[in-house]
Amino acid sequence: MSGASWLSYSLQDFVMFGPEVLLRLFIRINEAVWPWQSLWLVAGLLLPWLGCKVAEWPRRLAMALAGLAWIGCGYLFMVRYYGPVNTPATWFGWAFVIEGLLLLMLRGRALPIPLGLPLAVAGWLVILVLPWLAVLQSGDVRALALFGMAPGVTVAATVLLFARQPLLLRWFLLLVPLAWSLFSALTYWSLGTYWLLGFPLATLFLLVVALRVSPSPVQSRGLQSVRPDPERRLP
Amino acid sequence: MAGVSRRRFLIGAGLGSLALASSPLLAGKMATPGDAPQLRPIPSTGEPLPAIGMGTWITFNVGSDQRLIEQRTRVLETFLELGGAVIDCSPMYGSSADVVGAALETLDAHDRVFAASKIWTGDGSKTREQAASSAGRWGIPRFDLLQVHNLLSWQDHLATLKDMKARGEVRYLGITTSHGRRHDELARVIETEDLDFVQLTYNVLDREADKRLLPLAQERGVAVIVNRPFQGGSLFRRFQTEPLPGWAAEAGIGTWAAFFLKFIISHPAVTCAIPATTRIEHMRENMGAMYGPLPDAGQRRRMAEYVRQL
Ligand SMILES: NC(=O)c1ccc[n+]([C@@H]2O[C@H](COP(=O)([O-])OP(=O)(O)OC[C@H]3O[C@@H](n4cnc5c(N)ncnc54)[C@H](OP(=O)(O)O)[C@@H]3O)[C@@H](O)[C@H]2O)c1
Repeated sequence: MSGASWLSYSLQDFVMFGPEVLLRLFIRINEAVWPWQSLWLVAGLLLPWLGCKVAEWPRRLAMALAGLAWIGCGYLFMVRYYGPVNTPATWFGWAFVIEGLLLLMLRGRALPIPLGLPLAVAGWLVILVLPWLAVLQSGDVRALALFGMAPGVTVAATVLLFARQPLLLRWFLLLVPLAWSLFSALTYWSLGTYWLLGFPLATLFLLVVALRVSPSPVQSRGLQSVRPDPERRLP
Repeated sequence: MAGVSRRRFLIGAGLGSLALASSPLLAGKMATPGDAPQLRPIPSTGEPLPAIGMGTWITFNVGSDQRLIEQRTRVLETFLELGGAVIDCSPMYGSSADVVGAALETLDAHDRVFAASKIWTGDGSKTREQAASSAGRWGIPRFDLLQVHNLLSWQDHLATLKDMKARGEVRYLGITTSHGRRHDELARVIETEDLDFVQLTYNVLDREADKRLLPLAQERGVAVIVNRPFQGGSLFRRFQTEPLPGWAAEAGIGTWAAFFLKFIISHPAVTCAIPATTRIEHMRENMGAMYGPLPDAGQRRRMAEYVRQL
C-alpha cells in the first residue's frame, strides 16, 4: 500500500467494535467469575503489603500473585472475552500469559526491592479506586474493573513491582505493560471512552514515581540484587 | 438452506407483501400506505434487490455476548420485516459473521437474505478456503455474492471466484474499496474484468465516485453497492442538529437518515446502500428511505449544495 493510501486511514478505522461491547466485557467477566472476584480483591490488597516487606518470602509471594493475576487476566479477559471482538487483544492476551509465567518462573530469582510506604499506599489506591473508572464510564456498578481480571488495574498494580527490579530485568518486564498502555490508550481514545484513559495514565504515572525511587544502576547490575540502597530510606 | 429459487421466492414474496404491511412500521416517515419498496435490478441478471441493505462492520462484532447477540438479532429481524435482504460482511469484521449466523439461525431466515461476504487475505490461494469458512459461520451452503475486499490480491482471488461462479459455488462476484481509495485501479478492474458488483464509498459529502466510477459501472453493467453511506456515522454528528431544508418533503424526505440514503439510492448507477446500525429505531429510520418518492437529478444537486453550505 502506498504511503498516501495509509494517510487516508484514521485511528477509528482500526477499531472494529463499539464502546458498548467494550464496557459489557467488564460486566460479563464479573458475572462469569462471581463470587470468586472477592479472592482477587484480597490478593490485590495483599500485593502492596507483601511488596513492602524486607523479608524475602513475602516479596516472592507478591511476584507469584502478580504472575497469577497476569495469567488470569490475560487468558480470561483478553483471550476469551476481548479477543473475539478485537484480534490484537488475543495477541496481547497471550503476551500477558507469557509475562505471568515469566513472573512465576523468576519468583525465586528476581526480587523487587521493598516498595516503601508511599508506593504501597499508591498500590492500595490502584486496587480500590481505579476499578471505579469502568463504573463511571458505563454508569453500571457491575462493570467494576477488578485486579486479576481487568487488564488496566492488573497492569497498574503490578508495574510497581516491576519498577523495583534490577535495571535489565525491569525494562524487560515493562515491555508488555508499556505496549499495552499505549495500545489501550489509543483504543479508549478512539472509542471516546475517556474515563478508561485513567488506566494507562495511572500506570504511566505510577511507573514514573516508582522509577524515581527505584534501585540505582549499580545495584541493578546483577539480576539477583536485592540489597537495599544504603542511600535510600526503606521501611 | 433450500435452493436459490426458493430463496428468490421468499425475498420476492416478502417484498410484495410489504407494500401494505410496512406503512405502520414506517410511521413518521414520508412513506404512504401502498408505497412499494425501491428495488433495483442486478444488471448482469436482472434479479431485483431492495435498494437498502445492511452493513455489519463494528455493529455486529459483539463476540459471545448473548445479550448483545439477542439485541442484534432484533435489529436484523426489523431489517427483514421492512423488506431488507442484502447483508454485507467480511472475515475482517471480527465476530460479525458468527453473530449474523446466530441471528439468522434464531430467525430461521437463511432463505430470506441476499448473503454478501468478502475475501480478505493476502494469500491468493486461500479464496475457496475463506469462502467456505465464512459460509460455515453464516450457516449457509454458499454466498450469493463474494467480493474481493479492498482489492487485496485481487488478481488471484478474482480468478478463483470466476471459477467458483462457473461451478455454481457462488452466484455473483465483485470487488470492494472504501474511503475513496485506489479509484484508478478499481476503474481499471471494472474496465477489464467481468464483474457483477463493485462496492465503494459514496455519500452526500464523499462524491468522488460521481466523476468516473459510477458512470463507468453503469456503462459496463456492474451493480454498485454503496458503503459508508453515513460516513461511518459522522454525517449525523455533523448535521443532525441542523434543520432539513424546507423543500425536503417534496423529495419524500422526513429525516436526516432518509436525506442521506435517498441521495445515494436515487443515483441511477446505484443498486443498493448498506448502512450499519446497532439500534432498532435507526434501522426503522434507514429502511424508511426505501419507500416513497426519490429526489430527481435537480433535487439531488440541491441536496449536495445544502449540506455544503451548512
Ligand atoms: N472496504 C469495504 O469493503 C468496506 C469499507 C467500509 C464499510 N463497508 C461496509 O459498509 C457498511 C456501512 O459502512 P459503515 O458501517 O462504516 O458506516 P455507516 O453505515 O456510514 O455508519 C454507521 C454509523 O451510523 C450510525 N447510524 C446508522 N443509522 C443511523 C440513524 N438512523 N441515525 C443516527 N445514526 C445512525 C450508526 O450508529 P448506531 O449504531 O447508533 O445506529 C453507526 O455508528 C459497513 O458496515 C460494511 O458492511 C465495506
